[in-house]
Amino acid sequence: MTLIDRVFRGSDEMYELAVKATQEALDKFGADKAVSFPETAYSLPCLYSFTAKKITTLGELSAALEDIKAMMTRERRVKDVFSTGIATALSAEVIEAIKYVMEDNPYTGDYCGHLSDAQIRELGVPLVTKDIPGVAVLIGPAPSDEEAAKIIRDYQSKGIIVFLVGGIIQQAVRSGVNMNFKVRILPLGEDLSAVAHVISVALRAALIFGNVPAGDYEGMCKYTFERIFAFVNAYAPLSDMTVACGGGAIALGFPVITNETENIWRIPKSLIVQENTEAFVETSLEARDIKIKITKVDVPLCLAPAFEGEIIRRGDMQIQIDGSKNNCFELAMAKDLTEIEDHKIVLDGPDFDAIPEGGEMSMGIIVEVGGKAMQSDFEPVFERKFHNYLNCLEGVMHTGQRDMIRIRVSKAAYAAGFRAKHIGEVLYAKLKNDFESVIDKCQVTIVTDPDKVKELRFNLANPAYDKRDERLKSLTDENVDKFYSCILCQSFSPSHVCIVTPERLGLCGAVSWLDAKATNELDPNGPCGVVTKGGLIDERVGKWEDVNQSIRELSHGALDAVTLYSIMEDPMTSCGCFECICGIEPFSNGVIIVNREHGGMTPLGMTFAEMASMTGGGVQTPGFMGHGKHFIGSKKFMKAEGGVARIVWMPKHLKELTATRLNATAKELYGIDNFVDMIGDETITEDAEALLNFLTEKGHPVLGMEPMM
Amino acid sequence: MEQNAQLLREMAAKAGAETWEDRKKNQTPQCKFGEDGICCRICSMGPCRITPKASKGICGADAHAIAGRNYVRFIAGGTAAHSDHGREIAHVLHVSSRDGNYIIKDEQKLLRLAKEWGVATEDRDIYEVAHEVAEIGLMEYGKPFGTLRYLERATEERQKLWEELDIAPRAIDREIATVMHMTHMGCTADAEALVMQGMRTGLSDGWGGSMMGTEFSDILFGTPTPIETEADLGVLEKDMVNIIIHGHDPAMSEMIVAASNQSDIIDYAKSKGARGVNIAGLCCTANEITMRHGVKMAGNFLQQEGAILTGAVELIVVDVQCIFPSLGPLTKCFHTKFVTTSDITRIPGSEFIKFDPITALDQARDIVKMAIDNYQNRGSNICIPQTKQKAVVGYSCEAIIKRLDTVTNSHVDELGTYKPLVECLESGVLRGAVGIVGCNNPKVRTDYSHIEIIKELIANDIIVVTTGCSAQAAAKAGLMQKEAKELCGAGLKRVCELADIPPVLHMGSCVDISRILMLVTGISKAWNVDIAKLPIVGCAPEWMSEKAVSIANYVVASGIDTYLGIEPQVKGSAQMMELITEGTRKMVGAGFIINTDPHKLVKSMIEGIEAKRTALGI
Repeated sequence: MTLIDRVFRGSDEMYELAVKATQEALDKFGADKAVSFPETAYSLPCLYSFTAKKITTLGELSAALEDIKAMMTRERRVKDVFSTGIATALSAEVIEAIKYVMEDNPYTGDYCGHLSDAQIRELGVPLVTKDIPGVAVLIGPAPSDEEAAKIIRDYQSKGIIVFLVGGIIQQAVRSGVNMNFKVRILPLGEDLSAVAHVISVALRAALIFGNVPAGDYEGMCKYTFERIFAFVNAYAPLSDMTVACGGGAIALGFPVITNETENIWRIPKSLIVQENTEAFVETSLEARDIKIKITKVDVPLCLAPAFEGEIIRRGDMQIQIDGSKNNCFELAMAKDLTEIEDHKIVLDGPDFDAIPEGGEMSMGIIVEVGGKAMQSDFEPVFERKFHNYLNCLEGVMHTGQRDMIRIRVSKAAYAAGFRAKHIGEVLYAKLKNDFESVIDKCQVTIVTDPDKVKELRFNLANPAYDKRDERLKSLTDENVDKFYSCILCQSFSPSHVCIVTPERLGLCGAVSWLDAKATNELDPNGPCGVVTKGGLIDERVGKWEDVNQSIRELSHGALDAVTLYSIMEDPMTSCGCFECICGIEPFSNGVIIVNREHGGMTPLGMTFAEMASMTGGGVQTPGFMGHGKHFIGSKKFMKAEGGVARIVWMPKHLKELTATRLNATAKELYGIDNFVDMIGDETITEDAEALLNFLTEKGHPVLGMEPMM
Repeated sequence: MEQNAQLLREMAAKAGAETWEDRKKNQTPQCKFGEDGICCRICSMGPCRITPKASKGICGADAHAIAGRNYVRFIAGGTAAHSDHGREIAHVLHVSSRDGNYIIKDEQKLLRLAKEWGVATEDRDIYEVAHEVAEIGLMEYGKPFGTLRYLERATEERQKLWEELDIAPRAIDREIATVMHMTHMGCTADAEALVMQGMRTGLSDGWGGSMMGTEFSDILFGTPTPIETEADLGVLEKDMVNIIIHGHDPAMSEMIVAASNQSDIIDYAKSKGARGVNIAGLCCTANEITMRHGVKMAGNFLQQEGAILTGAVELIVVDVQCIFPSLGPLTKCFHTKFVTTSDITRIPGSEFIKFDPITALDQARDIVKMAIDNYQNRGSNICIPQTKQKAVVGYSCEAIIKRLDTVTNSHVDELGTYKPLVECLESGVLRGAVGIVGCNNPKVRTDYSHIEIIKELIANDIIVVTTGCSAQAAAKAGLMQKEAKELCGAGLKRVCELADIPPVLHMGSCVDISRILMLVTGISKAWNVDIAKLPIVGCAPEWMSEKAVSIANYVVASGIDTYLGIEPQVKGSAQMMELITEGTRKMVGAGFIINTDPHKLVKSMIEGIEAKRTALGI
C-alpha cells in the first residue's frame, strides 16, 4: 500500500459517504429541495471554486457528484493525488451541505461548522498584515486533553488562527479552552468532513481577495499556496480519509505535520512526520515558513529609539564593560540551523551582581544565527546592529564595535533588574524581527568569565574579524561582477544616489560593498539595488553605461551620468551625511580633505561646514565631492586625476586614522614611502601659500602632475 | 532551430564552405560491416569480415569475437580520452602555486580529499598538500598493485559485486593496456570475457580518470554553484570580439576567461573598435566554464561549424576531444583564427600554441590579443542567429545538497544529505530520476531526441540531470530555466518551487558524469537500497564518441540501466547484443535498452522506472 493508494482509497470512502448522504436526503426531500450554507454568496464555496457551478438544489448537488468523480483520476502521478485530494474535500463539503439540508442548524453548542462571508472578510486584513501570521488546522484527538489545550493556546498566543476538527474539540472543551471567532479558535465539527469548512475559508479568500475566477483549478491552488499560510496538524492514527484530505491540503500548498509513523511517507515541506507532538508548533511554523513577530521583549527596561542618544555618565554608572581596559568583544556568527536552539540565552560567568557598583567587567557577546537563506557575508550587517539595539535600552549605552566596545549600564537600570542575560534577550528579539527573512533561529551566549572571554577574543572573535577583513581586501572593482546602488538617504536628499563598489564605499562610511550586497539580498526591494557592470565607457574615470542607467532611474532623471573615479568629470553626488569632503586646492593643484569632526579652518579658507554647503543635496559640483573615510586609502580615489598623490592637506587626526592604508597605496602606486608625511595638516599650516612651500620642501608628487583644470 | 540551420547553410553556400551535413551525404550509405562491428582490421592477414558465406575470419575469430574486440577497443579509446583529461588536470594541480597562474580555489574540497587519501594536512602549507594529493592521483594511472582508491566511495554492495566479478579496476592505464592486449591478434575470443573487461575499463574511467578530472578541477577552479547564463548561437555579439573556446579540458580556457576580463585587454579591444571581448563556449569546455563563471554557451558538438559560419568569430581556441578537423579548412573561408593548444589534438590549418601551465595566463593574453587584432578583418557578411535562452547551471553534488537543505525541517531532519530527494522518490512525488548525457549524432535530428525525451520525462514527474552536449541541448531549449517548471507534472513542479531549482539540472561536462555517480551513490546510501533497484536510469539519446561507450559501461557496471538512442556497433553478433542488454543485467543488475525512436525510448524508460518502483513496493 503506497501513499498514493491510501489517498485513492480514502477519497473513495469519502465519496461513498457523500453519495450515501445525498441519496438519503433525496429520498427524504426530493430533488427540488434547496441546498445552501448560511450567509455566503458562494453557494457551496469549495464546489463553486473548482467547478464554477452554484448549487441550489439537491438535484444539482446530486449531479455535481459526477463532477467530483471526474476529478478522482487514477493515474499514479501527483496531479492525480492533488485532484483526488481536492475531490475528497469537495465530497466532504457535500456531506456537510447535506447536514444543513437535514437540519436548520446542525452546528450548535461546542461546534461552529460553516463560517460566513462576513467572517472571512474580517480575517482579510489581519491575514494580509500578518497580524494573523498563519492558519492552523488541527485534526485529532491529541495524545491528552492537557496537550490539546496546550497546543491550541500556544498557537493562539502566537496570533495564529486555529481550526479544530474531530476529537480535539471535546478535549479542548474539557480543558476549559474558550473557543469562538473572536478569540480565533474555531471548533468546526466532530466529523472529518468538517474540514470542508476551513478549505471553504481558504478558497473564498482566493475568490474574494485574490479575484481568482471560479473554476480556475490552477489559479486556486496557486493563490492558496502562495498566500494562505495554513498548515495541518493531524494526530495519529490517520485514517485513509484523513490521508486523502491531506492530499488536498498539500495540493493547496498546506503542509501536513503528523506523528503517524505507520504506513506514511515523508515528503519534504509537505508531509512531515514529527513523532514528538510537543514539537508540532515549531515544526509546523518552519514547514510553512511562518515567522512570528516578537512583540514583547523580556527586559525590565524601556526599549525605544528615543533612548538611542542617551549618555550614561560615570557617576550614574553601575557597571562598565570596556574593551580598551578588559577583554571584550561582540560577534555575530552564521551557523547551521541544526546547531542552534532558538531563543537559547546563556550566561557563562558572573552576572552584574558579582561586580561592585561602578566596577568593570569582561564580556563576550556571541550571537549565533541560522536560516535557510543565511550567508556568512551577512554577519557584519547583523553585528553592526548590536550598537543600535542596545542603545535603545533606557539606561544602557553602547559604543564601538568588534573587540573595542564599551557598554555602560546605569544604576537605575540595574535597580530595575537589568542583568547580563537581558542583553541577549534584546539582541534576540530585535534581530529576529528586523531580519525575519533570513534569521530562522538565533541563540545568544554572554560570556563574562574573564579567562574565557580572553580565550574567545583571541581564538574565536579576532580570527573571525580577520577573515572578514581579508575577504573585503580581496575584493576589487575589477573582480566582482556587480556594484550596488544605495538610496538610503533619499528620504532627505531625493536625487542622491551612491554607487557602492568594493573599492569605494558609500560616502556615509557605513555601507561597504559587502554591506550593500547583504542589504540587497536581505531585502531585494530595499535601499540597495544591483548595478550590473555592463557597457564600460571609460575605465580611467570609471564610467559604465549600466551605472549611468541606474543613476538616471534612481535619481528620477536628475542625473544623467556619474564617474566612480573622478572628482572633475561627472563626480558622484553627495547627500548631506558624508564623512569627509574633498575639494580642489588651486595653488598646489591638489585636493584637501576635511572630515566632519574637524571644526577648524582649512587652506581653502573654508571650514568643513562651508565646503559641505558647496556640494550636498544630490548635485554634481566638479572639484568637490563627499566620500567615506575609508575611500581615502583606496587605489580608486581620484584615480582619473592621478590618485591619492593629489592629497595635499588633511586634519592631523584624519591623517593618523588613514595613514597605514594611504601609505601602502602610495607605495604601491608611486613607490613613495611614508607619503602621509608629505601631506599638510592644521599643525603645519592653514594657509595656502605656506602649504605650497611645505609641499615643495617635502617634494610632494602633486607638484609634478598635470593641472586638474 | 531549423530556421537557424537554414540561415547557416546559406552562409556556408556563400562562403563555399563544406559542413558535416555535406560530408554525411557523401558518406551515405555507411559501411554495413563497420556498423555491425564485424569487420576485423586487427592484423594484416585481414581485413576480414563476416558474411553469410564467411562466418569466421582467417584466424577463426567469429562474429562474436570480432564484434566484442571492436567494442571493447571502443571503450578503451573512451577511457583513455577521459582519463588523460583527468591526468592533465592532475598535472596542473601538481604545479599550482600561491602566486602562479593556477591557485587552489576550493581548499575545503582539497582537504576532504587529502583526508580520504590519508595525506597529512595539519600544519602544512595547502600547496604542499595539493602537490601530494596530485601525485597520489597521478599514481592511480600506473600503480602496480591494488585497485583504484575512488572505488571506496561506492556503496558496499557495488564494491563487493565488483570484487566478486573480478571487475574492480586496477591502475587506469593498465585497464586500457589490458584491452589492447586482450584484443591483439590471437588473444581473447570469448565475447563475455571481453564485455567484462569492457566494464572494468569503463569503471576505471568513471571511478578513476573522470572522477579525478572533476575533483581536481573543482579544487583548482572552484566547485560549481548555481549561476545564470545563456545558450545558443545568439550569445555571439556583433560588436564585440568573439572568441570561441572548444573542447573539454578547462585549464587553458580558465586563463582565456581571466585574460579577457583584464582591463588592459578590454582597453585594447576598444582601441580596435570593439565594445569588448565576448567569450562563448562549445562542447564540454563550455560546460566547465559556464558552471564556474556563467560564461555563455554557443552550443554543442554539431554546432561547432555553425559558430564559425556566423562569420562573427575572431578566433576559436581548442584543447582536446570532439574537435572537427574540418575547422581547419572552414576557418579559412572566414577571417577566423584557429588555435590548437594540446599535443593531443594537432590539426592541419591551425596555429599551435602549446599549453604550458606555468605561463598559461600570458599565453592566454596573447591568444586573446590575436583575436582582438583579427577583429578588423571581420567580413561584412555576418549572420548571428538571434536565438538564445536563459539557463541556470552549476548543480554540483554540493550545490544540490545545499538546495535540498532548504526543504528540510530542522526539527526532524538533518542537513547535508540526499534524504529529501529520497523522500520525494519514495513517496512518489517524483517517479524517478534520469541522467541524460552524451553527444549529438548526425544519424538523428540534432538535439531532437534529447529534448523530446527530457520533455516527456519531466511531464511525468521524473527529474532530469544532464551533462555534456545533452545539457546544452536542454539549455538551448529553455529547459534549464526555473520557468520550465510549467512543463512538469504536478509533483516535479512542486519540487522545483519548493527547492527553487529548474527541472533539468546542469551537472557539468562529460567527465562530470562522475558527479552523477556520486549523486546516485549518495541516494543509494541514504535510502539503503542497491543502485540497481532504484528508480533511476541513464540515457544517451544521440551518443557518438568512444567516450560515450566507456561512460555507458561504467554507468551500467554501477547498476544503472542505460537507454541508448543509437545502436552500439555490435549488431553483427547476436551474442554481443544479448551480452550488452541482458547479459550484464545478470551480472551487475543493469544493461542497455536500445531504441532509435526517441518516443519509444522514453516510453520504455518510464516503464522501466515504474517497474523498479513496483519491485520496491512503492
